Amino acid sequence: MGELAKLQSAFARALVTDDLAAFAPGVRGDAVRAERHLAIYRNSVFANWTKALAATYPVVERLVGGSFFGEAARQYAIAHPSHSGDLNALGGGFAGFLAGYVHAKDLPYLPDVARLEWACHESEMAADGEGLDFAALAQVPPGEQAGIRFRLQPAARIVESDYPILALWEANQEERDGTPDRFEGPDRVLVWREEGGARLELLDGGDARFLQALTRALPLGEALDGVPEGWNAGERLRHFAARAVISGFATDRA
Amino acid sequence: MVIFGQAPPDARRAGIGLRAPHYREIAGRRPALGFLEVHSENYFADGGPAMAWLERLRADYPVSLHGVGLGIGSCDALDIAHLERLKRLADRIEPALVSEHVCWGAIDGRHLNELLPLPYTEESLAHVAARVREVQDYLGRPILVENVSTYFEFAASDIAEWDFVAELARRAGCGVLLDVNNIWVNSVNHGFDPNRYLEAIDGRTVGEIHLAGFETTPERLIDTHGAPVSADVWRLYEAAIARFGAKPTLIEWDTDIPALDVLLVEASKADAILVHHDAPARRAASAG
Repeated sequence: MGELAKLQSAFARALVTDDLAAFAPGVRGDAVRAERHLAIYRNSVFANWTKALAATYPVVERLVGGSFFGEAARQYAIAHPSHSGDLNALGGGFAGFLAGYVHAKDLPYLPDVARLEWACHESEMAADGEGLDFAALAQVPPGEQAGIRFRLQPAARIVESDYPILALWEANQEERDGTPDRFEGPDRVLVWREEGGARLELLDGGDARFLQALTRALPLGEALDGVPEGWNAGERLRHFAARAVISGFATDRA
Repeated sequence: MVIFGQAPPDARRAGIGLRAPHYREIAGRRPALGFLEVHSENYFADGGPAMAWLERLRADYPVSLHGVGLGIGSCDALDIAHLERLKRLADRIEPALVSEHVCWGAIDGRHLNELLPLPYTEESLAHVAARVREVQDYLGRPILVENVSTYFEFAASDIAEWDFVAELARRAGCGVLLDVNNIWVNSVNHGFDPNRYLEAIDGRTVGEIHLAGFETTPERLIDTHGAPVSADVWRLYEAAIARFGAKPTLIEWDTDIPALDVLLVEASKADAILVHHDAPARRAASAG
């Protein structure tokens, strides 16, 4: 290993482990001042990570408060090394981290709220979908309709929780005071995107079963086998197609 | 050497950093700006609203893609996935300028997501020059590399920062994005004459200039991009333009983002200096 790699390795270790004294000999001039100057980098590295996580997880931050969030972000960043120069990729494991974070054990809904926020984050960045081609759909002969495989828009995500995560999410948007409208789950949430950005919608059990089946690329016949009695397939299909949540389809023939 | 792509910015008009709070207002008012600059990584997404705004605004303004995450001086292998995203974005936006920083950011598989300083040594120079060439080959176009603010000097450094930057441009065949604020910040932090820095740089390699505000702490000047350009930096900028001629100039403001008009006022101050020095620069360009 060259001198440059050794230096980068030692510098990174000093910042992440907060052992700035270990790197002070690598700095020109007096060691006490060196530590103060290294601290500028330690602080900015952790501040960048915390800011990036706070931008992705504003509801989690509001639920736990800034200092709790800052410490959780610090612990997360130490335990889960950032694997990308793109900070948008930093928070993928945050929900899993919170599920095992000892200080969050009295907030059992927190990891699911985080999963919902990650779904919103992914949705904002997903590829643009096309609208459903209704004319082509009308051409599928009735006998082949059960074989239609509908596709969801690339920005669609379904998040299911035993807790009222959508009520918590809505209550902690900027204009709200944090009091949820509901205190009971379960919440099954569809995250989807329209032109302005990600949108959230509460699903019933039938909607969730049906859309989950579509994410597994099941044909319509099998997807409908999974939904409860009385679920209005025609109305719900039109609802999701009109929002371009369902944005394409394939038939076994095509 | 070709620094510019399809739409060279008008060097007589400064540009500003394009940030989400200003998308709608810029699209509506279409202020007279030389170009818009974005952080490349903020547009690595496959689609979505941010990309839609950039595609809309690129029709009205030359765009500069300014990377903050590639960490060109890192000793870890060059992140090809990151580079591929950058190439895909450049192919989609066809930017006027593409730039990165003279810094590193990842080692031992961990990204630190900060513009970390390099020791200025022959080993660093050879490493960074090779990396810049690798990036340029991958992108199929030259890039600009920006000098960064630093808060300490490595004991190992045995080349002056300005000589390092000038030699990097020579060896790698890249351009320089000269951040005049960073020169000022470093000149105060490390005690050197900032004019010496300007004298070391070959004006033909300067493809862009950055201006920004810093924060003063008891320890150091810190490059925060959260304040107006200081009087000292404006004076140094005038000296730079007098020396190099008019260059595409950017007002950078990334934290506590102000109203668009505040940025436009800063940009107009740069315009006044650029227009004043435009004539000799153009004469020199046509002679060369």
